[in-house]
Amino acid sequence: MQFNFGKWFGTRAISVIVAVLFCLLLDKVMQGPDKSYYRFLMSLAGIYVTLAVSLNLINGITGQFSIGHAAFYQIGAYTGAVLAANKFSHLAATKPLLWLFLAALFGAIAAGLAGLIVGLPSLRLKGDYLAVVTLGIGEIVTIIAKNQKSLGEAYGLSTAKIESVFLISLLAIVCIAVCRNLLKSAHGLAFLAVREDEVASAAMGVNLTRVKVTAFVLGSAFAGAAGALYAHTKAFVSPPDFSMDVSFLILTMVVLGGTGSITGTTIAAVVLFLIPEKMRDLPYVQMGTPLGVAIGIIVAVVLLRKIQESFHGSASERLGRNLGSVGIGIVVAFVMAKVLVMVPAFQSMINGALFRMPVLAVTLVVLMLLRPQGIFGHHEFSWSWVQKLLGKKSPETEVAA
Amino acid sequence: MLETKNLNVFYGAINALNDVSITVQPGEIVAIIGSNGAGKSTLLRTISGLIRPRSGSVSYNGKELTTLQPHEIVKLGLSHAPEGRRIFTNMTVEENLQLGAYLRKDKAGVAADMEMVLGRFPRLKERFKQNSGTMSGGEQQMLAIGRALMSRPEILLLDEPSLGLAPFLITEIFNIVKDLNADGKTVLIVEQNANRALEIAHRAYVLETGELVLQGSGQELLHDPKVKEAYLGG
Amino acid sequence: MLDLVSLNVAGLDFTTLPQQLVNGFLLGAIYALVALGYTMVYGVLKLINFAHGEVFMLGSYGAMFASWMMGFGPGGSAVAGSWVTLLLMLLMAMLVSGSAGFVIERFAYRPIRNHPRIASLITAIGLSLLLQYGGQAFLLEGKKQAITSKVNPFSDDFVFTPKKADAALVAQAAALQPEVDAAQKAFDARLPFEKSKFELSPEGDRLNKALAEITAKRDSLQNQATTSAVTIRLPKGKLIMLTTTILLMIGLWYLVMKTRMGRAMRAVSVDFNASSLMGINLNTVISFTFILGSVLAGAGAMMYSTFQSAPIDPFSGTAPGVKAFVAAVLGGIGNIPGAVVGAILMGVAENLVTWAGYSSYRDAIAFVILIAVLLFKPGGLLGSNKVEKV
Repeated sequence: MQFNFGKWFGTRAISVIVAVLFCLLLDKVMQGPDKSYYRFLMSLAGIYVTLAVSLNLINGITGQFSIGHAAFYQIGAYTGAVLAANKFSHLAATKPLLWLFLAALFGAIAAGLAGLIVGLPSLRLKGDYLAVVTLGIGEIVTIIAKNQKSLGEAYGLSTAKIESVFLISLLAIVCIAVCRNLLKSAHGLAFLAVREDEVASAAMGVNLTRVKVTAFVLGSAFAGAAGALYAHTKAFVSPPDFSMDVSFLILTMVVLGGTGSITGTTIAAVVLFLIPEKMRDLPYVQMGTPLGVAIGIIVAVVLLRKIQESFHGSASERLGRNLGSVGIGIVVAFVMAKVLVMVPAFQSMINGALFRMPVLAVTLVVLMLLRPQGIFGHHEFSWSWVQKLLGKKSPETEVAA
Repeated sequence: MLETKNLNVFYGAINALNDVSITVQPGEIVAIIGSNGAGKSTLLRTISGLIRPRSGSVSYNGKELTTLQPHEIVKLGLSHAPEGRRIFTNMTVEENLQLGAYLRKDKAGVAADMEMVLGRFPRLKERFKQNSGTMSGGEQQMLAIGRALMSRPEILLLDEPSLGLAPFLITEIFNIVKDLNADGKTVLIVEQNANRALEIAHRAYVLETGELVLQGSGQELLHDPKVKEAYLGG
Repeated sequence: MLDLVSLNVAGLDFTTLPQQLVNGFLLGAIYALVALGYTMVYGVLKLINFAHGEVFMLGSYGAMFASWMMGFGPGGSAVAGSWVTLLLMLLMAMLVSGSAGFVIERFAYRPIRNHPRIASLITAIGLSLLLQYGGQAFLLEGKKQAITSKVNPFSDDFVFTPKKADAALVAQAAALQPEVDAAQKAFDARLPFEKSKFELSPEGDRLNKALAEITAKRDSLQNQATTSAVTIRLPKGKLIMLTTTILLMIGLWYLVMKTRMGRAMRAVSVDFNASSLMGINLNTVISFTFILGSVLAGAGAMMYSTFQSAPIDPFSGTAPGVKAFVAAVLGGIGNIPGAVVGAILMGVAENLVTWAGYSSYRDAIAFVILIAVLLFKPGGLLGSNKVEKV
């Protein structure tokens, strides 16, 4: 294959310009005092996209499993907050955007270094052990933050409020671009080799530890940058913002979207960030309602699994049956909810907001039972894919279906 | 007694067994020979329920096996000594043999069979309380066969019993198989060492990349020019 | 004997060290019961059952509800428990945990047993979250609960005194007693001539101060005398707890090493396929292992919340669960004696951190130990020492 540098450089340059313009536009749209809530949501969405895609780099692309991603997010956030409150308070007050950029950089460096320190020794271990080490790191970082006077202890730290949708969305795009290019480049091949078969790729001369540590450090650095931006968006950091739940939320995003699929992760990040955010406002419900819904979900899952295991008909028939199962599940959920509410024992009221985390948990378990590769699997968004979806199906997709 | 009909087994897209049909009659030694990767072990593993075929049937005394779990198949009287011996290296010889008799409730019968196995394999008697992981390959193979006998099977499936053993040990193992057969056990044996297997087999099948290419009596195949060239070193 | 009193390193109080070691050992025994579940499940399935901490949590609710049923609930009428109370609570906790373990394995882990391991791990995390936050919604609104100490009739202590109080100090304190009495008498005699206790005349004030001074002097001496002694208090309840734990462990050892089911468990932990060729029903053995591990966790939960007075809420399983898991890794995961040794070391380490004055870091020590183990001896103390490769 011939490599056309001019063309390569041209597409790159155009992509960069388009990305920057897009971010500027987004920033413009989000200006104004009346839009502060949407600006905040937009910022958080961008931050979660960065977090999820960077975790996908670690988890999805190398097959290594980290469940303490919030630790690096937290390190970045506290780095930004502490520096803005002390050494750089002048800069933060006079040139907020420049400082925000620097804060992201410092956050990334701090988190990247932490990632290196954690990654170098522990990435020798595989699978489950790595999960536990990263979980432990997450806890240790939180415990230290909770007990250090200089870090505000359990209360937290205040810092300068600097909002920039521009920088946040740019970070998210850069993160996506870096991950995508890593996937495509020769380096990306090494990453994928690690995911598919460690022994074989070691035999072929791929330096496993180096590949893994690179992915880990890069992923941590992006999380750190996101953390620094978060600290200034909210103007306040405290330990609960970086608890284990946050790590799990990010993990759910990656798993739901499809480990290894950046497209899937990005979409899942936005959706899963918005759902719990919206669920904060849920009203009180009677206990029977969620129980009924749970029963409906169980029924639907059991039916769907039966179809997966024993139905070998055509794709459209299968789709019909799947939809039917979901429909039955919904009906059962509705009926059971109505029936259970009549039982006195299930009439006590529960705050709907309490169901934020159970919804995540159920999503994880149901997904693993029905589609462990995530909604998007390894698929990526591409223009040819869109063409295929819109136009006639190519023979290739029909075979795949 | 044991019969497979048009067995098809796939690993992903790879057709590991293609329309394989064999029969084993009571009292026979049937050998399946073929090179590495021909699907010999796959066939045994499919019979004993470790692998589900995509199509085809395995019947044993008229009973369909392809829908059963491995442990249910053992109950019917098949015993499979898997490739690579697969003994439980964290346990003693005694415990390994007891596991072979896992499904049996008749304590006296189990004790008698234990004596029988130890009589047949005196080396195991010497090592009775020893951790089986510390034994030599030949001893481990004897343990694997002995363990398979402990369920008092009607038919014994042996997968590459000679693999990795010194020639004198191979002779010993094959003599034991012959003795077992003389005592009435039916044996289905899978071997790369075609020469030895054909010498003791009543009948044999030749498997090549998942397909049966030849069958006949052991002696016929031993003198078949094609078999000679491909498997017996000319 | 080592003179603990004269030892003074970094301001640590060595006279309380023996007590802390004993406390650590007792705590470690409970962790051991939980760690056994992790290690056995890992042994057969190579799966870290992240939901094990929640099985533990459900066990403590089981024990608590049992105590409520016997009248020890809020507004309950029962006054004092007995052997029977404790036994019923223990059985209930074991029953609840055992059922939870069975259900989790049957409906969440078994369907995906043939998927890649990462799927089981994510399922385990999902289940753990589901039980925690689901509990927050459904279990008494997730409020912190506790089992009343009334259920435990064995609350008095055995007191061991390896080193008695310094006789000289005791004598000095006793010698001051007449002076204290005299000062008290003088002040009491003056009191009728004062307006009130709080508005003293100069004379009253002088007497009051003298009394306070001499009392303080005596108290200080008495205090010195007490701290010069080394005493170990062992509540009888905790002794029962330790005995129960040891009995359960002996039972487990017998089950695993001497019975048919135990042999099958060990076989499955080495080789799934070869075990099924022996006629072992994998599903039965795996179910049994989950139930067994969960039942032990339930026993641990009952004792943790009864004798260690640990509060109960939907998240109360996380910390013991994580510590027990670390204990299992420390001992070499998959290794049953290793889990016990690791758990006792964990319990001791945790109490040593508290003793050294860093009690806010007592939850962090588990992770520090975990990371240290994985760095230097990934196979654990009693495990094989190879880093997992394939």
